[in-house]
Amino acid sequence: MWEFFARSLNASTIFTIAALGELIEQRAGILNVGIEGVMLFGGTLGFIVAKTTGSFLLGFLAAIAIGGLIALLYGFFTITLGGNQVVNGMGIWILGFGLTAYIGYPYTGPLGLERIPEISGLSPFFFIGIILIILTQWILTKTNLGLKIRSVGENPSVAEVSGINVNKMRYLSVITSGMLMGLAGGIYALDYNPVWSINFLLGWGFIALALVFFSMWNPYILLAGSVLFGTLWQLSLNPQLVLPNLFSRYIWRTVPFTITIVVLVLMSTKWFATRWGAAKPEALGLPYEKE
Amino acid sequence: MKLGGYEVKLERKMKVTGWEAAMISILAILIALGVVSIIFLQAGVNPITGYKEIFKFAFTTKYGLPLTINSSIFILLCTFAFIVPMKAGLWNIGMAGQLFAGTLGAFGVAYAFGAKGPQGANLSSGLVIPLMVIGALLCGGLVGAIPGFLKGKFNTNEIVVTMMLNSIAFWAVAFMIKEGGPFMGGGGEGEGFKLPESIYAPQKFGIPFTILIALLLAFLLYFLFTKTKVGYQIKTFGLSPAAAKYAGISSFKIPLLVFIIGGMIAGFAGYHYFAAIPRVAKITMNYGDYGDLSFYGIICGLISQENPLAAIPIALLFGGLINGGRNVQGKLNIGFGIDYALLGVLMITLVFFQFFYRYKIVWKKIEKEK
Amino acid sequence: MPDQNAEQVDKLPTRVIKHGDIVLEARGITKRYQSLVANDHVDFDIKAGEIHAILGENGAGKTTLMKILFGLVQPDEGEIFVYGEKVKFKSPLDAIQLGIGMVHQNRKLIPAHSVFENIILGHPSAGNILNMKSSAQGITELCDKYGFKIDLKAKVWQLSEGEKQIVEILKALYRGAKILILDEPTSALAPPETKKLLASIKIMTGDDLALVPFITHKLQIVLTTSNRVTVLRRGKVTARLETKDATEKSLAKEMVGRDVIFRLEHTESEPGKPILQVEQLSAINDKGLVALQDINFNVHEGEILGIAGVSGNGQQVLAEVLAGLRKELGGKVLLDGVDMTSSSSLERWQKGMGYIPSERVDVGSIRDYSIIDNVMMNYYFDSEFSKWGILDTRKIRKLSEEIIREYAVAVPGPDTPAKSLSGGNLQKVILARVLSRKPRLIIANLPTQGLDVGAAEFVQNKLLEARKEGAGVLLISEDLDEVLSLSDRVAAIYEGEFMGIIPIKQVKREDIGLMMAGLKHKGAEK
Repeated sequence: MWEFFARSLNASTIFTIAALGELIEQRAGILNVGIEGVMLFGGTLGFIVAKTTGSFLLGFLAAIAIGGLIALLYGFFTITLGGNQVVNGMGIWILGFGLTAYIGYPYTGPLGLERIPEISGLSPFFFIGIILIILTQWILTKTNLGLKIRSVGENPSVAEVSGINVNKMRYLSVITSGMLMGLAGGIYALDYNPVWSINFLLGWGFIALALVFFSMWNPYILLAGSVLFGTLWQLSLNPQLVLPNLFSRYIWRTVPFTITIVVLVLMSTKWFATRWGAAKPEALGLPYEKE
Repeated sequence: MKLGGYEVKLERKMKVTGWEAAMISILAILIALGVVSIIFLQAGVNPITGYKEIFKFAFTTKYGLPLTINSSIFILLCTFAFIVPMKAGLWNIGMAGQLFAGTLGAFGVAYAFGAKGPQGANLSSGLVIPLMVIGALLCGGLVGAIPGFLKGKFNTNEIVVTMMLNSIAFWAVAFMIKEGGPFMGGGGEGEGFKLPESIYAPQKFGIPFTILIALLLAFLLYFLFTKTKVGYQIKTFGLSPAAAKYAGISSFKIPLLVFIIGGMIAGFAGYHYFAAIPRVAKITMNYGDYGDLSFYGIICGLISQENPLAAIPIALLFGGLINGGRNVQGKLNIGFGIDYALLGVLMITLVFFQFFYRYKIVWKKIEKEK
Repeated sequence: MPDQNAEQVDKLPTRVIKHGDIVLEARGITKRYQSLVANDHVDFDIKAGEIHAILGENGAGKTTLMKILFGLVQPDEGEIFVYGEKVKFKSPLDAIQLGIGMVHQNRKLIPAHSVFENIILGHPSAGNILNMKSSAQGITELCDKYGFKIDLKAKVWQLSEGEKQIVEILKALYRGAKILILDEPTSALAPPETKKLLASIKIMTGDDLALVPFITHKLQIVLTTSNRVTVLRRGKVTARLETKDATEKSLAKEMVGRDVIFRLEHTESEPGKPILQVEQLSAINDKGLVALQDINFNVHEGEILGIAGVSGNGQQVLAEVLAGLRKELGGKVLLDGVDMTSSSSLERWQKGMGYIPSERVDVGSIRDYSIIDNVMMNYYFDSEFSKWGILDTRKIRKLSEEIIREYAVAVPGPDTPAKSLSGGNLQKVILARVLSRKPRLIIANLPTQGLDVGAAEFVQNKLLEARKEGAGVLLISEDLDEVLSLSDRVAAIYEGEFMGIIPIKQVKREDIGLMMAGLKHKGAEK
């Protein structure tokens, strides 16, 4: 039973880190619906590098680097060119989906390296995830840097007039978020489930997006949500632990996705919606043009 | 920015003419094709030869042309499924799930008529085929209605909901055709039962009647959006939900309507591929790949600027590239997935070209300083 | 603790600033936007310890001048001198560093953040970790100095308009501003808050700060508060005088260029039956707070009922509820005697209501649509204009062409996209679209906001015309003069309640002012 929970927490780590990345850039006003694409790049490149060099360290570094790079591309389209954020995000997703299918195909199959050592069943990344959450919350609420990031997401023109370089702040957030997403993809492909196949993430990036909305941009709620989802996911893979022989295992696989939809609907109830509206960074998704 | 004796400036555009938009789209396609030719170079193949082989196979061979056209019909239908909600400003990336649902609907009707068993040989095509189509439309429309309803009633994010439904429908199909599911085929594991010849779709040269419906749909949709009251309401809602509300347009009915229509069309795409193409006529083991293919509908919709008529040649082009690309993979020893790579590059090129809708580059000769 | 102000002034050549020295001077400022000359060789100067008002109508060039003085815009010609040294602002940061601060009309504050966070945002001394204690101390000292009472921990969205303005002033002062530009400082304030603000301003001038309020119509404020006035009209300075030498009439004349009639002459009204009846109407706003409380009133055919009030007291919610765009919490709305409370907005349009929204660009029109498609917004549902679900575009085109002609909209044709129309022309199209339906009840929400004098007068006359033809008009306006000159009856709204409904002949301006501030209550009449 503990093994089940440990695996759940390991799965949740990936949600945590990817969603944390998106949370940071959303606080800065940037909406990236293409999280899945960034994660695919991170996972695929990390997998390829680790497989060819045999080094986990290099693999993770590659994942983080490519994540930052892809996010930089996204930032360029969104911040400098001022394009529609949803369209750009979709673009990153399809780019990721398409290109990684081609690049990764020759490496289809297991990683073939010894698993990363765990601490009583928990991946070391779980603890890294917790630290990142606490660190992010502290930076956002207690430091000047955090204030600048939040201001840029609430009202960029006020921030600009107060002396903050809005674009610089946004680029910073976007690149940071990309590195986190790339890392998350890397954790999936190198640690959680070290087997590569086309579109191996199966929609996790979109679940992470839903998680950010659900968290109302609070890292602690995000953590709770991720743990919940990690557990749901593990459950869907091992239904025999809870309700053996009740449904076909294929039906169980649909559970996390169905629950995501249910959660989204619950979020539109009055209680949630007003709090959500109040917590939302006002300038989220809106392009900013300097006068 | 200064270049030589000229100053280069960016100026906002007031209006984008039809021609300008078409030019931008065509340029995007050409650039994407250019970037993808790197793949050819990697394999030591001259890109021009590579593309020539692709187009030769796709459009001139007896085997390749029907393949191309059938794929193009599929893509075209998925494009419509994307365009209709897009006109309302909503993203339907759930064509995959909707088409899976439609497929289940169509095969469900066939199953109900006993197509899986021995009486399958005696089915009346005049009765069963229309019902299969209706089954596909209903199921696709139902699955489409979910994000539409949720958006209209609760303003739920349709991107996440449709994506989730894609996965849900994917596993639902797996349930139906694998491991003893009701639609499992007699032969190998993991694929659906084959349709009896009695209910094969009417076809010519390997291309089913669905091509006529797809083309008709193009004109119908074009007419819908240019001349009708409903089309006006959809467009208005898409441009400004606040203004639409002021004009009395329902922010509940419109999302619901466009997603039902989109879902129905995607459902029909499922019927087309899995039930209507004579060579296929069953839910194949790799049905998931067709979910991936449906994403081409997104790109086609964006390149054609949401114009259903312009989507026809573009869908044809993509059908050719995909089938030709797959064929050429083996022949010229190029890695698998050239069509996936093209998908990705094309999308990002298009996204980049968005920029040119809003700005134009102005060259001004610098006046000599006084 | 080091004096924040001294730190900034250190950047300037050390000199002793005496009360009355010229601290900021602008010479020959000119700015062109294509063919429009926004500022035409404007000269201006301000002295330490002085309040120098800049007066001018919408479109006179005040906003442009303000943006130039604060570094948001570069002038095409002209020079600016600060403390006698010529300067060039590349951005507001340069202006801020030289001690120029600006308090904006539409608050440049972040509502979700606290007062403290807003004041310290972007401050060079803030460091990387927010050192609350020392910065808070500095800010509190400023508050005490000028008599401001503000809770630093409160979130800005919880504050009143007057308090928000104080936060902005504090922000500028904490950055070391010695010259404060104030954009319409009193437009969003009720009279008592205005008094408080002016008192604080007087204290600031005692400290040798220089203040430049930019004002549109509040001539009274100019006369009672400023030391000198500069009047702008069509980009040019038409007058520079000591306030003691000015009168309301003389200032108005300089502003508009002709004798201004303070009330539009219009005929006595003969109101008919009530076309709109509102009973015990309550509603909440987007934040979940009560915006309307048991409102009761009628609008009769052939009359204009004007609602006067400072923005944010429930007018927007009232307009939206009446137009069917927002659900009410309780109460009834009757249109021509028929209960329309649960009717959709579409049904109300079909039953003879017409709504002119306050947000002309985001709600009243669609930028990318042509004029024809914009006109269709209020016509697509008419059976006359669409048969069997197909639109009769030819008919709408004809209607659009008629509108363009009748309302003198300055465009090449009905296919022109709305985004290329000026504010005045766009409002004309919207007005024409609504009025051409001959609605029996017209709800006009801020119909002349942001329009220049000519366009505003046009709109006002059209409303009077509609009234003459028997329509009932509900006019919502933040311009008290407009309300007083157009209405047959005036209602003052404060925090979602009507403080009184008074026939125009019995109206006393000071009374309405007090009602708008919630300080007076007259029994509401039926």
